[in-house]
Amino acid sequence: MTEKANENWEPKIIAFVCNWCTYAGADLAGISRLQYPPSVRLIRLPCSGRVNPFYIVKALQEGVDGVLVSGCHPGECHYISGNMSARRKFALLKNFLSYVGIEPDRTIFTWVSASEGEKFAEVIKGVTKKVKALGPAQKLVKRL
Amino acid sequence: MENIEKQVQEHAKKLLAEGKADVIIGYEKGTLPSQTAPCFITDPDDTGRLVWNWFCSVNLAKYAHDIIFRHRESQQRTKPEERTKKVVGIVARGCTTRSLTIHLQEKQYDRDQIVIIGVPCTGFVANKKISIAVDGKEVVECSVDGDSLSVKTKDGGKDIPLRDVLADNCLTCRFNNPMISDVMIGEAAPPMADAEREYEGIDEFENLPVEERWAYFTKEMGKCIRCYACRNACPSCYCKTCFVEQSQPKWVGAGIDETDTQVFQIMRMFHTAGRCVDCGSCLEVCPMGVDLRKFLKKLDKDDFQLFENRAGESMDSLPSLSVYSEDDKEEFIFEP
Repeated sequence: MTEKANENWEPKIIAFVCNWCTYAGADLAGISRLQYPPSVRLIRLPCSGRVNPFYIVKALQEGVDGVLVSGCHPGECHYISGNMSARRKFALLKNFLSYVGIEPDRTIFTWVSASEGEKFAEVIKGVTKKVKALGPAQKLVKRL
Repeated sequence: MENIEKQVQEHAKKLLAEGKADVIIGYEKGTLPSQTAPCFITDPDDTGRLVWNWFCSVNLAKYAHDIIFRHRESQQRTKPEERTKKVVGIVARGCTTRSLTIHLQEKQYDRDQIVIIGVPCTGFVANKKISIAVDGKEVVECSVDGDSLSVKTKDGGKDIPLRDVLADNCLTCRFNNPMISDVMIGEAAPPMADAEREYEGIDEFENLPVEERWAYFTKEMGKCIRCYACRNACPSCYCKTCFVEQSQPKWVGAGIDETDTQVFQIMRMFHTAGRCVDCGSCLEVCPMGVDLRKFLKKLDKDDFQLFENRAGESMDSLPSLSVYSEDDKEEFIFEP
């Protein structure tokens, strides 16, 4: 995953999404035939609280250009409080990663509910734009 | 300090003789003049080995956890009604009691399994600072007299002001007196002067450009030889199987790849988020002198600023990632 940046370069983004809100939101975006960049690969998890911070760091090490984590809005979690525990983890992790020198825009957290198909498309557009501006990931990437 | 040492020995002797503790964890004279070693005393007549001085550095809470867990494991094949509990007496300063509090909050053992001999603390001497002061020469003799530390190497002696060799975490310590104790020795120590400047270095580092921060991080982590001494010394790192040793999934590679080292360090530090008590044990045991504190302290700062938590401050303030609040700040959430 060491392609050089040129005008045709498309970022690879991994999205960890929760089964109950964001995945359904992505589904709605699809059903509604909304257009968004194909740069994102969704990984469906039961809850945003299931996202081990290690998944994010590991994804960066494996060479993705950006990581998106998305779950239900706080207070709407299927498991009552999973996303609120997650929010604390992410707040610390995002600060910490940017503190050690990884660009803050490579790790993005957001809330998208099942009825927000449009917002999902907007989020993907926004994240792709941010990551594209940064160029291919160089830091923490394991090279073989 | 000699007075404290004597009282530690007396209390330890009493606890062992009365059967209130099965083992006392304390410090004893080390093999090097500027170091002490942890020791485990079960015989009341042996308590004379215990010392308390400026060189008592590592956090003993780690050993309390180890001993209790070894004992618990050894009892697995015993009938439940015949199982015994091991009571551990521990010589503890402020940071040690905070680590014990973390263990208790995380339900690692019961409060009645530890007897805390609380000792007021005025900091410990960092060995790395001594060795920098004497240009890495071998220290033959080392003693503290009042406010100065006199070091003797083969080439001659040197007097260093004590403040210059105290560990960084001690200079800005807020909790130098034990937070919880069963026996308290002596008077409470005066607070350390620089507690307000705790996050000075962190604020400075935060304002550097991102590339410079990354350069510093990679430079520091480039020194790391993955000996895992930091993990082994850390009282908050008590997982039975650490993620670095797990193979399904294999979280981090075991080779010499530098990103593996960086990922290991990022994740080990992140695992102590909201649980690191800034005891300085990891720095003290690190053979390569990696500046871990620069990064650990950032987690500590965020922990306090975002969640108003200081690890192990009291039994009521749980580690910040074990709890949540509906009103947690969420400025970092991306809105398109």
